Amino acid sequence: MSASHAAASQRFNLRLLLLVLAIGIGVNVVGVGHLLLGLRRVLSPADLALLLRFSGVLLLVLIPAAGIFSLVNQFAFWEGWLEGLPRAEQLFAGSADAGASYRCYVVYLDGIHQLERDHPPRVSAFLEALEQRLQRDTLLVRGLETYTVMPVALAEDAGSAWFWRRLFALQEQHPNLLVQLLAAIFVQGNNVIKVGISSDRRYGPILNYELALKICLRLAEVGFRPDCGSRIALVGYSGGAEMAMGVADYLRRISRVPVSIISFCGVFSGNQLVSSVDGITTIVGSRDPVAAFGRIAYPGRSPLLPLSNWNKAVARGFIDRREIAGMNHNGNSGPFSDAFRLPVITEILAALERSAAAPAQRDC
Amino acid sequence: MEPILDSLGGWLMRTDIGLGLLLVVGLSMSLSHVFALLANRLSARQILLRLLLDALILSLAFLLSTSIDMVLLSLYASNPVHPSDFINGVAACLLPACFYVCVAAPYIGETIGLGIWVLLHLNVVTYVHVRFALPWEQALLLCSPGYLFAVLLVGLLFRQSWQRGYTMLASELGDA
Repeated sequence: MSASHAAASQRFNLRLLLLVLAIGIGVNVVGVGHLLLGLRRVLSPADLALLLRFSGVLLLVLIPAAGIFSLVNQFAFWEGWLEGLPRAEQLFAGSADAGASYRCYVVYLDGIHQLERDHPPRVSAFLEALEQRLQRDTLLVRGLETYTVMPVALAEDAGSAWFWRRLFALQEQHPNLLVQLLAAIFVQGNNVIKVGISSDRRYGPILNYELALKICLRLAEVGFRPDCGSRIALVGYSGGAEMAMGVADYLRRISRVPVSIISFCGVFSGNQLVSSVDGITTIVGSRDPVAAFGRIAYPGRSPLLPLSNWNKAVARGFIDRREIAGMNHNGNSGPFSDAFRLPVITEILAALERSAAAPAQRDC
Repeated sequence: MEPILDSLGGWLMRTDIGLGLLLVVGLSMSLSHVFALLANRLSARQILLRLLLDALILSLAFLLSTSIDMVLLSLYASNPVHPSDFINGVAACLLPACFYVCVAAPYIGETIGLGIWVLLHLNVVTYVHVRFALPWEQALLLCSPGYLFAVLLVGLLFRQSWQRGYTMLASELGDA
């Protein structure tokens, strides 16, 4: 009774939000129209066109500027200004006498909605259900901050913590829904930029290497040892799939164990070096528009570029694609919903079993 | 000697806007690669030196491509034009390249770069079409060799300098 009530309440909230958004957009359109009319009284059409062009150029400059600013943190960490960039060869030195080592470490990389170490309730419920079904010799590593270079949440990120804290405060406490929504878009925009950096051939290596180090630090904390015959499976949702693809090769080199990738509803570039990975399984929903958009937005996955890393891997039969009928990217038909949680978990478990059964194909 | 130097001085004074813009364009293009060079842990002195050198080479590449356009216009379209006027006109067409620094932006950078290159060519073709009253096809035909020359020079610089920098980083991390 309470579950159905909660679902109905959630649906009502969603409809209300959509209604508010529609009204908000309508009000904005009317407002902009009036503003233009007002401006036309003051400015000539030529001046107005110039103003619009100027705004367009400003936008054209601001978006790349945000991307470039986002790089600064990566560089600061990379150059050692922030301290804490560990040396790859010393990562597992402290875990030599650690306790029980597992046969498989499943590392979960969340999508672009991730704000802090704790996952949203639906994702947490999904991960708990996955954890319960994992074999006893398999450990789920969760709560990894996928979109920050340091092992901290966004609100503690060096250099930009003040900005994110204010944005989170706006998102949580501001009475206006539109402001809350804009703040959420800003946060997700930051994570989208990180996905972009990961797939960029110029800067991607730094971010991916730093993330690989962070994952290794976490693995060392939970007792991973490179000499115990373990393996690592990276499970990435949405943008987390791109991060998993970017990080896999570095992780394999640093940890010296086979690494496999399982993505669900993944949005990834196909630029990454995946030939050395121990297998890739992509779980996709038949009604997932975001993952479908990723195939268009990233030329590396287009069949027009047969020599891209992704298309070469596809041609070699290296990619195992599993489709779940009716699944969307998120929401009530998403992978974390009650309807699709179990099918996704079943596919992940099957992929883990296939990966365990197959002999390591790569020299580690 | 004195008249030659006088005419050169006069020419330089008349072309100050054009040459200045070419330098800004070169600097903007060079700046777009600074972040990637920084990632390769080059020292500040090395980066500064490379930045200035690349900016000068790029400005020179655009100056040469403009000269090619000018020579072709004089030879095939019988439209003699004063070099300073032409360089000033073409340099204004290269204004979008002042935003070339945006190519440093992750992932969307290459798309921005492509857009700017296309825009540059369109601007120069339009300028030649309007300024010399040439048909579009002829303007396109006369401007393309200079444009291709500029693309080739920038491509060579990219291959020799920047591309090597990116590969260095990737291989360094690959050996980690």
